[in-house]
Amino acid sequence: MLAQSWDLLVQRWDFFWGLLLEHMEICLVAVLIAIVFGGIAGILISEYQKAAKPTLAVVNFLYTIPSISMLGFLIPFSGVGDATAIITLTVYALLPMVRSTYTGMTNVDPAIMEAARGMGGTRMQTLVRVQLPLALPVIMSGIRNMVTMTIALGGIASFIGAGGLGVAIYRGITTNNAAMTVAGSLLIAVLALVVDAILGFVEKRMRARGAKSHRTNRRLAIGAAAACAAVALGATVPGALAGTGGIIHVATKPMTEQYVMGEALKMLIEHDTNLKVELTEGVGGGTSNIEPAMESGQFDLYPEYTGTGWAMVLKNEGTYSEGEFDQLQAGYQELGMSWVGMYGFGNTYGMAVRKDVAEKYNLKTYSDLARVADHLTLGAEADFFEREDGYDALCNTYGMSFGNTMQMDIGLKYDALAQGSVDAIVIFTTDGKLSTADATVLTDDKGFFPSYQCGNVVRDQVLQQHTELRGVLEKLQGTISEQDMARMNYEVEEEGKDPKTVAEEFLRSKGLI
Amino acid sequence: MSTTTTNDVAIEYRDICKAYGEKSVLEHLNLRIPRGEFITMIGSSGSGKTTALKMVNRLIEPTSGTVLVDGHDVRETDPIRLRRNIGYAIQGSVLFPHMTVEENISYVPNLLNKHDHERTRKAVRTWMDIVGLPCDLLERYPSELSGGQQQRVGIARALAASPDILLMDEPFGAVDEITRGQLQVEISRIHRETGITVMFVTHDIGEALRLGTHVLVLDEGKVQQYGASEEILARPATAFVEQLVSRQRHACDLPEDQLCACTHSGAARARAALAAM
Ligand SMILES: Nc1ncnc2c1ncn2[C@@H]1O[C@H](COP(=O)(O)OP(=O)(O)OP(=O)(O)O)[C@@H](O)[C@H]1O
Ligand SMILES: [Mg+2]
Repeated sequence: MLAQSWDLLVQRWDFFWGLLLEHMEICLVAVLIAIVFGGIAGILISEYQKAAKPTLAVVNFLYTIPSISMLGFLIPFSGVGDATAIITLTVYALLPMVRSTYTGMTNVDPAIMEAARGMGGTRMQTLVRVQLPLALPVIMSGIRNMVTMTIALGGIASFIGAGGLGVAIYRGITTNNAAMTVAGSLLIAVLALVVDAILGFVEKRMRARGAKSHRTNRRLAIGAAAACAAVALGATVPGALAGTGGIIHVATKPMTEQYVMGEALKMLIEHDTNLKVELTEGVGGGTSNIEPAMESGQFDLYPEYTGTGWAMVLKNEGTYSEGEFDQLQAGYQELGMSWVGMYGFGNTYGMAVRKDVAEKYNLKTYSDLARVADHLTLGAEADFFEREDGYDALCNTYGMSFGNTMQMDIGLKYDALAQGSVDAIVIFTTDGKLSTADATVLTDDKGFFPSYQCGNVVRDQVLQQHTELRGVLEKLQGTISEQDMARMNYEVEEEGKDPKTVAEEFLRSKGLI
Repeated sequence: MSTTTTNDVAIEYRDICKAYGEKSVLEHLNLRIPRGEFITMIGSSGSGKTTALKMVNRLIEPTSGTVLVDGHDVRETDPIRLRRNIGYAIQGSVLFPHMTVEENISYVPNLLNKHDHERTRKAVRTWMDIVGLPCDLLERYPSELSGGQQQRVGIARALAASPDILLMDEPFGAVDEITRGQLQVEISRIHRETGITVMFVTHDIGEALRLGTHVLVLDEGKVQQYGASEEILARPATAFVEQLVSRQRHACDLPEDQLCACTHSGAARARAALAAM
């Protein structure tokens, strides 16, 4: 596993290096903000002791909010992306900063403070010349902990579409690429350790006394400041320069097929037009976080599923079927968005039976299955048995009842089917493993499961601004069948191919690039 | 030291009382210290010496009564300005641990004038010399000094800005007998040459009598006696004072070669004891 991760790191070093830089930038900004504001807050509450308890109570409270919920709270205000990530990291960094500053400031020997007062220093002079320098070791060790924590926590930033090494971790998880997850995690750990070591060195230098070491310290500080400035500059300048042409912000959900489609969209748009595509991959929470960002204009385009749009975005009740597409499109128009370029595949629940079973009973539809279900065993995830529109509803609609049912993890269903421990399974129609499974997918003849056809949701404003975009997206119309998508998922998840490679092969095979 | 007031009382305590909760620490302290005096304060531990001292630079506020410095109620004076004119050698010589000796001594001058670094630099070296510290200690940090050296830095720091009033709280507590003698000579000289008003707390009655133009004896927050050294020695006012000065009253100043002429001297008794063996 480690060897695999290492190979991956070496092979795709550019990718990881980019993420590493992003990670450092996000953490650096959060840490700097936290140091400034947390430091000031800590100093203020050590001066005005009455404010100390309530302030510490508030930052303590903020600290206890789970990071995932914190991100959730913030998305409506600051959208998805780096801003929210930085705010979240800053909030978590504030507590250690405020607390260590406060502790450091209040633990300075009162006799020394009295001496400084007795010498006739103003409050400010005493603060700057005596109290703060004496509190510095405590503050510094607080900063050290805080920075390490921020780097580790920075891994969640990708959940809401920010950059950083979390992107690798999250992508590894969603596309069944453990080596990628391990590589991302390792880099975070290494970054944290290296930075901790550097700060440890800084701490030691600060404790070093004497004129000579002071001079050395000054030189080191100037060097470090220059390095920080360079990183910050490197972060902002390319972004500013890139702003010249049109940029299309494309988002994808954390699903293997969406990683592939994201890459395909980027390649195709950049191939056919002068537009640049900025791809935010695997945004955590999917529709519920991408959709608001579409409305606020942070994203311009993302692949969505009709059934999801129908229920989650337009908040319609009832089972969606493709006959209602016009209504769906009309609903989206009101939001200032359009469906352009339906790929031709749906990612929906389905039912598959082992081929020999299908042949034995001559099964083609769910109704066929209902006839013989009492001889068969069904395997599905726990979720399917629990949800209202799941197992019970299915049985009611088709009047079927299985001889036996088994709860199993998504990854095990296909093995169980092959081994014969179950005869039928509930599937997703683009499951990667479906493409190689010895199984027959049955037809939902009564339309029990909602339809989830995949297509691009685009902001109308962008379509007007860049008229060439519509044509490009329409080229994708009907290009991917469910079997195609399942095969591509298989290539990524089981064969460990890069989504980008898979996307490129697909576009080439269709003669699109 | 120049001052605009015609008043020649440097420090005055007017009916000062201080209590911490129920516990009374100073009771009805009335005292006028003329400009240029060298007042030594002596008394048992916890008798209120430090408390009285810190009222002068407003580190402690009295429960009742008024402290006047240069004829002005300290409560109506800006504490920052007040303190910059009062040197303070703190009990236990609290130096700033993150500053070198040089930085410690120039702390107050740097608060006052931010520009004339050269003058401060020179002043620091002069004071180092006066308190008897070699200049190669300037770069050291307090933790790298002996207790006695630290005390001397504390004295230099108190004097560095040439204040009008000097408060010294057991400044020689941690120095050896011989150095203490030298420092006593130095502080007397500084006092004589600058005309500075000094309040000096000590536990050593000999030191109190030797240095002070006047001696204040405190016990349990009450003034036992306040007077010139000779007066204290000649006419102890209370049993407490009598006990305090009894050794001094019995001390005899015969020159070394005549010590044994007095049969009550330690030297004669020791010789007699040896002879009897
Ligand atoms: N902040 C305080 N709260 C309560 N009691 C105090 C406080 N500061 C001083 N005291 C008490 O006031 C009394 C006088 O203290 P002070 O420091 O003036 O004594 P001192 O004469 O300087 O003694 P020493 O010779 O040991 O330095 C002591 O009994 C002490 O316990
Ligand atoms: Mg004292």
